[in-house]
Amino acid sequence: MKNVAGLILNVDGEDDSLKDFLQHRSLSTLPFGGRYRLIDFTLSNMVNSGLSHVGVIGSHKYSSLVDHLGTGKEWSLSRKTQDLSILSGSNNYHIGRLIKVNLRNLQNNRGFLDATAAEHVLIATPNLVTTFDFRNAYDIHLKNDSDITLIFKKDDPLYHLKDNDLYLEFTKNRVSGFHYKRERTTGHFFTEMFFIKKSILMELLDLSERTGDWDLIDMIKYNIDTLQVFGAQHTGYIKRVNCLENYMKTSMDLLEYEIMQELFLGKNSIHTKIKDNHPTLYEDPAQVSNSIVGSGCIIEGNITHSIIFRDTKMNAGSHIQNSIIMQRCEIGRNVNLNYVVMDKDTKISDHTTLVGKPHAPIVLKKGTVI
Amino acid sequence: MNTECVAMLLAGGQGSRLGSLTFNNAKPAVLFGGKYRIIDFPLSNCMNSDIDVVGVLTQYRPYILNNYIGDGSAWALDQVQGGVHILPPYMGQKGGRWYSGTADAIYQNLDFIDRFDPEYVLILSGDHIYKMDYSKMLAFHKQKAADLTIAVMDVPWEDAHRFGIVNTDEDHCIKEFQEKPERPKSNKASMGIYIFTWKELKKALLDDAGNRESEHDFGHNVIPMLHASEKRIFAYPYSGYWRDVGTVQSYYDANMDLLNYDCDFDLSDRNFRIFSNNTSRHPQFIGPQAKISNSLICDGCIVFGKVENSILSHDVVIHKKTSLKNVIVHTGAIIEDGAILENCIVGARARIKGDARYVIDPTEPTPEIHVINN
Repeated sequence: MKNVAGLILNVDGEDDSLKDFLQHRSLSTLPFGGRYRLIDFTLSNMVNSGLSHVGVIGSHKYSSLVDHLGTGKEWSLSRKTQDLSILSGSNNYHIGRLIKVNLRNLQNNRGFLDATAAEHVLIATPNLVTTFDFRNAYDIHLKNDSDITLIFKKDDPLYHLKDNDLYLEFTKNRVSGFHYKRERTTGHFFTEMFFIKKSILMELLDLSERTGDWDLIDMIKYNIDTLQVFGAQHTGYIKRVNCLENYMKTSMDLLEYEIMQELFLGKNSIHTKIKDNHPTLYEDPAQVSNSIVGSGCIIEGNITHSIIFRDTKMNAGSHIQNSIIMQRCEIGRNVNLNYVVMDKDTKISDHTTLVGKPHAPIVLKKGTVI
Repeated sequence: MNTECVAMLLAGGQGSRLGSLTFNNAKPAVLFGGKYRIIDFPLSNCMNSDIDVVGVLTQYRPYILNNYIGDGSAWALDQVQGGVHILPPYMGQKGGRWYSGTADAIYQNLDFIDRFDPEYVLILSGDHIYKMDYSKMLAFHKQKAADLTIAVMDVPWEDAHRFGIVNTDEDHCIKEFQEKPERPKSNKASMGIYIFTWKELKKALLDDAGNRESEHDFGHNVIPMLHASEKRIFAYPYSGYWRDVGTVQSYYDANMDLLNYDCDFDLSDRNFRIFSNNTSRHPQFIGPQAKISNSLICDGCIVFGKVENSILSHDVVIHKKTSLKNVIVHTGAIIEDGAILENCIVGARARIKGDARYVIDPTEPTPEIHVINN
């Protein structure tokens, strides 16, 4: 994989449902799974597959990304032979349909592409929850001598039955077209991860600058007959987080042991920023079941089917179910929470009850005090 | 970089009384409180005391320890020039030899200390669990214009015979030493933490090295020698949590203190944190049938069984229908379906079979703590 540079795109939520979480951060640094940020999955997958140069495109809300990634040390990307670049993003605005891969972002970062000696670029979005070894897909990319190899998932939507999933059409094993269709559960779903020859990417960038069409998928579509576009299959778990309901469902997927095993107990681990926390203390009255708990928590209450991030304090007599509690929250006594998502640094005082719905949880913004 | 006081951490001991916990690991690198290693306490204390240079003297089974200390960045000891330095025994023109005693270990590294040209040298050991701001002790040392300051704490009178006891005047000046006395004259016990004025220490080490009778030990040789030559030796009174974890029982008890609500040793105190060299692990997964109470659990654990009053280190797997009570489980151990464990320590990466029964006899007043490795 020495000949591949990684590039992680910046994407936004696809509707307004995540906006309360995204006031001070981009989707890539949305907390996920008790201790991670979404981007940890894509970045770790790249590093674990042997990539040594990765660029991450930021949004205008940089501070959380820079704070999280730092020098890339936790991903072994701060060595003389391996590096991490944080690249500038453009303001993504869109009319009508969303742009999957916005070439304007790449245009801004031609310097990164020019500087790398790699002949291939692996491009992926930062909001994919999966563990994936790119090496097999890369072998297919090389074997076919393809210009572009799109990684797809068969008959399993990345998204819980909403639109904006892109399907690939195949003629023999070559990709011959794309379409968007609503509410489909079969077909070849594009995972938003692909290999592309750097020379082809540069040509398409030039082309899009001339035509003013910044959608890479459109560019590929228009040139599908002349480009060698192939597919490589992803057979494991993969979900895309792009709205609140999907964030909730994907988070709760982790409470199924088989999924949790696949994501976290395989050969390669998902790396994240390390914090110095004490081990989590379960006090005497605590009752916790079917949950994921980060380090540094002090828990006295009852928790079922929930995800508790690092440094949370929860007092006795309280019940949490079906909820996501992000870092450094404090929960008082005799509090009842069901279907609630609490952003970081939120405090809930004694005797509060909050009950949301499975598809519409109650969201508490960062720093809320109730 | 602050080189006024350089710390030297004696980490070469075997810790043979810890049994199989130190078969392939030096005592300072033994796990404590789930995620920590014993050496985290003195190193974090250094970090919290503005000490920028620490020499770590290693000798016995150093691999895990060296690997763990790494570049010292976990304790912010990775600055240019300063930071943490691992100091194993080495060869010179006249051959090489092992460190033959605590004082000899420092003597063999006089050049190292001289490079930083400090005023004071802090001598620490890697087998105590405590939090201490050494800068306060250093201020005391300077205020008393002492040649040597020894940290002391009050121990229960009935335990005093197990410690090195000092007798002081009202100015904290040490008048007499009693090593493990049958009839202690005071209950002020030495904590094995010394601050020396460097030029006095250097002189003493050179004298001691030339003395063939000497065992080259601070407690037995160097400090009595300084006392005999009427150097200014003071006792710095410390109060707070401090435990020697030199035996399996004391190690077990100190771990269990962390689960005792009344114990004043607080690892969650943000103002004086204990840092450790963390690696990335997934969060804890608590299964549907799990029951956990009064326990400390680290990242990477998977729990399907019952865990009561226990400490689980990283990457421990507790299968269904198991019951753990008053147990310390070290990294990566697996407890299989049905196992029942009480009052024991499970060694790192042990695999405990489902038919295992380590249950204490309730008629026995103080059950011996066993370390289980398979």
